[in-house]
Amino acid sequence: MLTELETTLLGVMMMVIMLGMGASMTPRDFRLAFRKPKGILVGLLSQFAVMPFLGFTLAMLLGLPPALVVGLLLIACMPGGTTSNIFAYFSKGVLALSIMMTTVSTLAAVVMVPLLLGFYGGLAGVPAESSIPPGNVAQVLVVLLIPTLIGMVLRKLNPNIGATVELIGSFMGVVVILFLIVTWVPRNYQLLLDTGPTIYVATIGIGLSGMLFGYWVARALGQDTNRSRTISLETGIQNGPLAVLVITLSFAPALQEGLLLIPVLYSLFIVLTSTAITLWYRRNATREELARDAAKLGTAGA
Amino acid sequence: MTEHQTKPWVAAYGDDIPVTLPEPADRSLGALVDRACTEFGPRRAFTCVVPNGMNGSLRYSQVAAMSDAFASYLRHHCGLQPGARVAVQLPNGLAYPVAAFGVFKAGCVLVNTNPLYTPSEMIHQFADSGAEVLVISDIFAGKLAEVIPQTGIRHVVLAGVPEFFPRVPETIVRAVQKVWTRSLPPVPKLDVPVQRIRTALRIGRGLPKVTDWDSINPDDTALLQYTGGTTGVAKGAILTHGNILSNLEQVRAMGARHMTGEDCVLTALPLYHIFAFTANLMTFFEMGARNILVPSPRPVQNIQRALENYPVTWITGVNTLFNGLMNEEWFATYPPKHLKAAIAGGTALHQAVAERWLDVTGTRVAEGYGLTETAPLVSFNPLDQPVRVGSIGVPVPGTDVALVDDNADPVEAGAPGELLVKGPQVMRGYWNRPDETEKSIQNGWFFTGDVATMDADGFLTIVDRKKDMVLVSGFNVYPNEVEDCLAKLDQVLEAAVIGVPDANTGEAVRAYVVQNPDSEVSLTREDVVAHCRKHLAAYKVPKSVVIRDELPKSPIGKILRKDLKAEAKAEFAKGA
Repeated sequence: MLTELETTLLGVMMMVIMLGMGASMTPRDFRLAFRKPKGILVGLLSQFAVMPFLGFTLAMLLGLPPALVVGLLLIACMPGGTTSNIFAYFSKGVLALSIMMTTVSTLAAVVMVPLLLGFYGGLAGVPAESSIPPGNVAQVLVVLLIPTLIGMVLRKLNPNIGATVELIGSFMGVVVILFLIVTWVPRNYQLLLDTGPTIYVATIGIGLSGMLFGYWVARALGQDTNRSRTISLETGIQNGPLAVLVITLSFAPALQEGLLLIPVLYSLFIVLTSTAITLWYRRNATREELARDAAKLGTAGA
Repeated sequence: MTEHQTKPWVAAYGDDIPVTLPEPADRSLGALVDRACTEFGPRRAFTCVVPNGMNGSLRYSQVAAMSDAFASYLRHHCGLQPGARVAVQLPNGLAYPVAAFGVFKAGCVLVNTNPLYTPSEMIHQFADSGAEVLVISDIFAGKLAEVIPQTGIRHVVLAGVPEFFPRVPETIVRAVQKVWTRSLPPVPKLDVPVQRIRTALRIGRGLPKVTDWDSINPDDTALLQYTGGTTGVAKGAILTHGNILSNLEQVRAMGARHMTGEDCVLTALPLYHIFAFTANLMTFFEMGARNILVPSPRPVQNIQRALENYPVTWITGVNTLFNGLMNEEWFATYPPKHLKAAIAGGTALHQAVAERWLDVTGTRVAEGYGLTETAPLVSFNPLDQPVRVGSIGVPVPGTDVALVDDNADPVEAGAPGELLVKGPQVMRGYWNRPDETEKSIQNGWFFTGDVATMDADGFLTIVDRKKDMVLVSGFNVYPNEVEDCLAKLDQVLEAAVIGVPDANTGEAVRAYVVQNPDSEVSLTREDVVAHCRKHLAAYKVPKSVVIRDELPKSPIGKILRKDLKAEAKAEFAKGA
C-alpha cells in the first residue's frame, strides 16, 4: 500500500514535525500549563477517554471486519495531530491550549495508546495476528521524543533556528497530507471507488463525532466557547500519519493493506472535515467578537 | 536663602546625585552617537525580537557604519541641507536607530511619527513640519498614495519589521507577513522616488562621508516631537540637541550608579515617543548597554520571548504595560531574573500596580515624570531611597519647579498648584506656533498643565491634569484619585474616570471599568460604588459606572480620557 520510499519519507517527515513541536515550547511552558491544568485535563479526557470510546462504538455499530477495527481504534487512540494547531489558529481559537494539548497528549500517548489499544482490542475481539504489539507503539513514540527534545534544545541555543524549525514543523504537517494525496491517491484510485460506504462513514464519522463530543464535553466541564472550540478541533484531529507509520513499522507489507485503509483515508478526509468545521468555528468566533464589541458601545448609566 | 531652602529636594539627592548638573560631554547627538560607537564597537547595541522569538542584532560598529551611510544618503543623494526635516515613522526595530542616528549625523531634524497615524494625521504632521524625506515601515506603505501628494516629501525610504535580521529569519518573517497575516501591502506608484533602506545605505556607502555635523551647536534643533493630540491639533515641540543632551545628563545623574554597559533594557514602548527615545534609546546606547526592541507590545504576549531569551535588567513602561505583564501567567510565575528595577512614566502609576510589581518581581517601580516639551524627564524617585508610593520623585538636577495658582502666584506649601518647570531640558517652543509658545513658556517657566503638590522634602505628587479635573458641586475631584481607588478592587483590571454634565451638581463623576479576567468575582456596578463609598468622600464616588471590555488607549498605553469624554459628550448631546 505504501512503498518503502514512502514509509521512509513519512518517518523523516514525522521527525521534522516533532522537531518543530519541540522547538515550539520550553520547560517553562510545561510547568505553567500544569499549574492551571484544567484545560489540559479536559483535553486529555476527551482525547483518551471520549475518542477511543467513540472509535470502539463506531466500529461495533458498523460491524467492521477485524483489520478495519484495528485501524479505526488506532486512529481513535492516537494523540492530537500537529495540524490541529494550524486549524486552531485559523478558527481564532486558543493557540497556546492547542499546542499544549498536542504536546501533552503526544507524551501521554507513550503509555495511553498501548493500554487503550489492548483494552478496546480485547473488547472488540481483535485476533492476535492483526493486533498491534503495544511495545511497538511505545517504541515509535519514544523514538519521536528524541527529535522533540532536540527541538527544545535548539530553541534554547538559538531562537532564530528554533523559530524556523517550529515553522517548518507545523507546515510539514500539511506537507505529509499533501504527500499522501499526491502519491497515494492516484495509485489507489480504484481502491477508493471500491471502498464501501460503511468505511467512509467510519473514517469521516470518527473525526466529526470527536469534534462534536469534544466540544460538548469541554462545555459541560466549564470551558468557555472559544476554548471548547479549540478542544473540539484538537480532539477530532488525530495524528493520522503517526498511525500510518506505526502500522508500516509493525507489520509485513502483505498484512498492511487492510490495516492501513482507515488511517490513510482518515488522514485525507480529516483535512476536508476540519477545514469545513474551522470555517464554521471562525464565523462563530467572529460573531462573538462582534457581539462583544456591540456590548461595549452601549453606555448604560447608573 | 541657601539652595536647600529654595530647593528643598536637594537634601534627597544624598551623596550620589550631583546638585549641579555636569556639562554634557558632547555638543550634538551625532557626536554622542559617534563617541559611543567608537567606544563600544564590538558590543551588541540593539536586538529586535518578533513574537515568535526570531531576532536580529546590530553591534555598535555596525550602527556606526550604517548611520554614517544613511547620513551620506540624506545629504548627498536626497540633497538635504542641515536643518532639513526627516520624518521617521517606524515601529521599534533595527531600522529605527539607523535612521534616527543617520538624521542626527546629517545635521537634519528628526520628526518622530506614530506609525499608526491615519493618512490625515500624517498629512498634518508632514506638512506642518515641512518634512522632505520620509522613512516609513513597509507595512504602512499603503497610506502613501493619499499622503505624499499633499506634503513636501521628496524621497520615501521603506524599512521592514525584520530589517537587518539574518537572511533566513528575515525571509520567513516577510513571508509570514505577506502570506499569513497579509500585512505587507503593495507599494503604491508615487511621483517621488521610493527606496528600501538597504538600497539607501548601499547608495550612501558610495558617497562621501558627512563630516560637517561637528559644527552643530547645542542650540540647533534635533527633534520636532509632536504632542498635544489631547487638546486638538498636534503641535511640534522643538527639542534642541542641548535639550536632549542635558536631559541625558539628568537621567544619568539620577541613575548612573545603578546602570552599566552590561545592562539590557527592554524597549517595549515605542521609540518615536519621547519617553522611550530618551530613557531607552539614548540613555542606554550612550552607556554601551543593549536595547531589546519589541516591535509591538500588544498583545502583551508579544514580549514573552524577548523576556525569556535575554537577561533583561531594566524595563521601562507605563501603568497599563506593568499591569498587563503581571496579568500574564508566564510573567507572574517567571518574572525576569536579572531585573534591577522598572521605570514608570507617561501616566500615573497606580499604587496597587506598584505594590504588586514589587511583590511579583521583587524589584521596585521607580516612577518619574516628564513631558514631550521637557525632553522628557522633569522629576524622578532617587533609586537609593525607600519607595514613596504615588510620588513622582524630586526634580532632577538643574531643574527648578514651582507650583502656582490660576494667577500664576505661588501656592502655599503643601497645597496643589499647576506645576511649572524651568531647566535646560525645556523645549525652545512649538514649531510655527508663537501664540502657543507664548502661552506655555513665560519667563523661562514651562506651564505643564498638571496639578501637583510638594511635600516638605521636595517630593512631588501629581494630582491630575488641570483640565481633567471634575467639578462636583464646587468640589474638585481628581480622576487619578478615584481611578487609584478603583484599581484596588480585585475584579477591576483597568479604570478611567471622567466628568459628565449633571443637572444637580454641575458635573458628576463617571467611572469606566474593565473586568479583570483573572478574578473569580464578576464586576458589578453596585460593588464598584460600594467600594468607593468605603474609601472616598461622598462627592468623589462615581455617580455612574460603565462596564467595558476595554478602554481607549494611546500608542504607549495611556488610557485616553479624552476619547471617553468625547463619547460621553456625544451621548449627552444626543440625550439633551
